[in-house]
Amino acid sequence: MEGTTQADQFIPAGLAALGIEADEVDLAVIGAVHQLLWPPIVELLAFDTAGLEPERCPDLSKAPR
Amino acid sequence: MSNDPLDLGLRAQAAAIAAGEVDPAELLAAVLARIEQRNPALNAVVETFPERSREMLAAAPAGPLHGVPVVIKDEWPLPWRAQRFGAAELTAPTAPGESGPYRALRDAGAVIVGVGNMHELGAGSTGNISVYGPARNPWDTERCPGGSSSGPAASVAGRLVAGAIGADGLGSVRFPAAYCGLTGLKPTFGRAAMAGHHMAPVTNMIVSGPLCADAGDCRLLGSALYGEELTAGDAAGLRIGVVRDPVSEDVTPEVREACDEATEALRAQTGGEVREISLPDLEAAAVAGILIINSESMSGTRPEQLNALHPELSPIARGTLKYRMLLPAAATVQATRVRTTMRRRLADLFDQVDAIAWPTVPAPAPPLEAPLVELPSGTVTADQANVRGAALANLTGIPSISMPVGLSGEGLPIALQLQAAWGRDELLLDAAEALERANGRRWVEALPPLAQSSPAEA
Repeated sequence: MEGTTQADQFIPAGLAALGIEADEVDLAVIGAVHQLLWPPIVELLAFDTAGLEPERCPDLSKAPR
Repeated sequence: MSNDPLDLGLRAQAAAIAAGEVDPAELLAAVLARIEQRNPALNAVVETFPERSREMLAAAPAGPLHGVPVVIKDEWPLPWRAQRFGAAELTAPTAPGESGPYRALRDAGAVIVGVGNMHELGAGSTGNISVYGPARNPWDTERCPGGSSSGPAASVAGRLVAGAIGADGLGSVRFPAAYCGLTGLKPTFGRAAMAGHHMAPVTNMIVSGPLCADAGDCRLLGSALYGEELTAGDAAGLRIGVVRDPVSEDVTPEVREACDEATEALRAQTGGEVREISLPDLEAAAVAGILIINSESMSGTRPEQLNALHPELSPIARGTLKYRMLLPAAATVQATRVRTTMRRRLADLFDQVDAIAWPTVPAPAPPLEAPLVELPSGTVTADQANVRGAALANLTGIPSISMPVGLSGEGLPIALQLQAAWGRDELLLDAAEALERANGRRWVEALPPLAQSSPAEA
């Protein structure tokens, strides 16, 4: 349950740092969303984009240059 | 098929009015009466304004949609009504006004007869949460109609109107089209009217799009939204790419079979070919799409707003809005790098194929009370399952279309999605029409039980 413990600390602390109030229901919802979304976010951060030249202000109506 | 003008498709209604065979004032009155009759079972239309509609008709120019009644999603302002986004409160300011889709419809001569329900804050693929109560699926009113454009889809599938305008930021036209057995087009980013949307200044994901019974009707309604004619071709020699990935394989057996059959039928009809292609990292693309649209949606939101949210906002929305403030900026920047990666991969792929095909959603509409889907990999929420096949088009800007290709054993629609290169929206419509020819229009003409005329209407 390491992830849960980390979320228990991260979520209230993060919200408090922003001055956002959260009741028990809010925290339960946030915990559930976090459990679903955080692992793929961590995977995304590990996505290898080494050597990738970013598109600056991409025009999404067209193919990349 | 019924000869009642109410049951005609969009272009048939437009043609009948133009030929003087149908009086648009009578059609408007009949549509309003049908909404009165059928909407209680669907909750698809959350507001009508008969006097405003009659004023629109009286002032309607002789455009391609002259006198044709349509529904517009609760996502754009109208001159007499601010959008509510399916929610008790938006953190973004809203006010009545002339949105791009409103102007497009007005200038084409269409008559807006009602506002379509939607998933609260646009934040779901099912349509089971809304400040107005959930919209219901005409194929089974205990099932999700799909979201977030739930009301537009349910209103067309229920034959309240022949066309509706939705919006698609992460699949929100395609999901309800799939669940309700309609054709839904997600335009290339930037091609369809978006002015007046409260996120228009910040979004690189959301587009407006048409929902209709078939591709021809989407072409007509889409032409109004695009402000240009979406000309017809024939999709001859269509090169269709398919992937071996969970988006096409972690789906119910019925969905897989129907989509495989439809892909083969499309190939045969166009004299084209089916090629297996490689498009890795679709999971990363889905997360990237979620991160970017969630970040866009919080633009300008201040913490104190989140401490004074409307009490009628759902607990899920309250918690989700607050959680979005915790999303790491580094991940959102990384998401833009994934976007670049996927755009370049797609650009290369679209040299090899004309369209990429996979199921729009991996399972038919789940129950409203518990929107879960059973897939080969296990039971997951419909939102989790649906987004992975939809996000790519919004993330990269490419157009996409969902079209009905069958019914499940429970009598629920199954849908195939096609995606094409930037600006090739017309090709998707051509391909959808080719598939309709291939299957004898069986699925676009299928009517849900609720849309079959009742004795009271006969």
